[in-house]
Amino acid sequence: MRIRHAGAILVMVTLMAGKVLAHHSFTAEFDEKKPIKLTGKVTEMKFSNPHSWIYIDVETNGKIVNWALETGAANSLIRRGWKRTDLPAGTVLLVDGWQARNGSATANVSSITFTDGRRLFAGSSNEAAPTK
Amino acid sequence: MPAGKGVVEGGEIPYQPWAAAKRLENFTNRQTVDPLGKCYLPGVPRIMYLEFPFQIFQTSEHVAITFEWSQVYRLIYLNGKPPLHEGVESWMGDSRARWEGDTLVVQVTGQNDKTWFDMAGNFHSDALGVTERYTMLDADTIQYDVTINDPKVFTKTWKMSVALLRQKNMDRILEYQCQAEAEEADGSFERDPRTWYPQLGTPASPTAAMAPGGSLPALKTGANLRHTADGKADLTGYYSPGGGGANYGLERHGRDFLTPSTRGVVIDPADGSLPYQPWARAERINRELPYRGYDDPTAHCFVAGVPRGIYTPSPTEIIQTPGYVVLLFERMAWRIIPLDGRAHIPDNIRLWQGDSVGHWEGDTLVVDTTNLNGKTWLNEVGDVMSHAAHVVERFVPVDAGKITYRATVTDPIAYTRPWTIEIPMNRQSEELLEVACHEDNGDLQNLKNVRDEFRAQQKKEK
Repeated sequence: MRIRHAGAILVMVTLMAGKVLAHHSFTAEFDEKKPIKLTGKVTEMKFSNPHSWIYIDVETNGKIVNWALETGAANSLIRRGWKRTDLPAGTVLLVDGWQARNGSATANVSSITFTDGRRLFAGSSNEAAPTK
Repeated sequence: MPAGKGVVEGGEIPYQPWAAAKRLENFTNRQTVDPLGKCYLPGVPRIMYLEFPFQIFQTSEHVAITFEWSQVYRLIYLNGKPPLHEGVESWMGDSRARWEGDTLVVQVTGQNDKTWFDMAGNFHSDALGVTERYTMLDADTIQYDVTINDPKVFTKTWKMSVALLRQKNMDRILEYQCQAEAEEADGSFERDPRTWYPQLGTPASPTAAMAPGGSLPALKTGANLRHTADGKADLTGYYSPGGGGANYGLERHGRDFLTPSTRGVVIDPADGSLPYQPWARAERINRELPYRGYDDPTAHCFVAGVPRGIYTPSPTEIIQTPGYVVLLFERMAWRIIPLDGRAHIPDNIRLWQGDSVGHWEGDTLVVDTTNLNGKTWLNEVGDVMSHAAHVVERFVPVDAGKITYRATVTDPIAYTRPWTIEIPMNRQSEELLEVACHEDNGDLQNLKNVRDEFRAQQKKEK
């Protein structure tokens, strides 16, 4: 993450919590009873609508699994000054969220932080998500 | 595909050698790889010469073009300003225009590399720059000249030219919902016979006796509104809904896992609850079960319908001309509201967005919508509406920065009496961005898996 974005990230956390676009039922897709914690390296930031996705490689017992993390719509990120190049591959992220009901490596995130504790924009892909 | 003498100046597109090979590959595989075959947004200029009609709406600051094909629109800015958000890539690009005499000259930038020029595999890169020139040859013919500049794919710029003809016997454009039609045909999306038109063996629009709705205090329009040259309140602008959580339930409800609470937006009945018939209340409750999430048409990226388009948590641009008010939804859908007093279309034509006609009552815009198809949900938790619904909306500009929106729904199939919701629409200095939806819909398969697992379980238990 380039330095000039550091300030923007902190501001974004509070803004994103209030307004993210939803287009489907989150309770239908994600499971309240499957909270997860992940640490992994970004492989791709897919800047798209109706939701953006961050893909991270997570290593568990020597095996690497690529997780798909659902975040806000590209349009809401753009309106807050984000660009598709702002989250380079290799960035290490710490993720809290809920796993998809179907048990796949897919999650709705409640918070994402960098290793130094700074928080990334994605409060959740849903404005409803509980904040911690 | 039919033979044609071509529309390209000089007859040939000047591909770089690698690109000529790529084009041939596209052509060979066109039945499976043409992006239009997947109902992806067609890009510019292809959208302009698809064999579907479109309608043009013109103000001093915009040209809006609404297409029958999948409710796509273009909003072309004439205000001389650069894009508010730079570096944005999209399927339809960013369009900025100026007048050169009577010719409209449009620069289109920021298109991605995923669209084609035609079904013969002619393609471009993300370096594409398109210049369009619209010139009236006579009262009913536009000469549409296009200059294509893409140094990554072509050896030089090239031009094409097409005539666009005004259709005189067409008073409306209707709907061709590409993705919805495909998913209904292959069974990916299932219609509910209880709400869908036609319900076999019953009259199209029942006029069941309903209890009357309550009376509501009239809203006062603002004193210092901007007006158009023809003396109407000027509603043109970008609006964000203050939905109050309407997208997660029209009635008051508490916060649940991943679903926010809302104070409710129902103002009639006075207790804020919807006057459901028992079957419809049961269906509403059932739709909150996880396996039903797949059934919400917007999860498939289909259009929201009426009134849902207004309070999806996503903005709306209003474009107003003397004869029309047009609603452009950021989630790529439009509603055209003619104001000339015309009648609704015949009852047996049913549309996702219905048929809307409007009139002014002072500074209030009143819109009457019928001919709905009964396939839409009222929100993500599944408030119910059927094809019999008659929706009357009032857009009341209470001050220069705010419209108070009221919609009264009379639906004798699902409810015992009419009901009304009220939502503020706040005007902002913003520009619409594009929401390409099913092009990048990562959620639908997950929702389908949940549905399929539930059905498999049901089958096992039987």
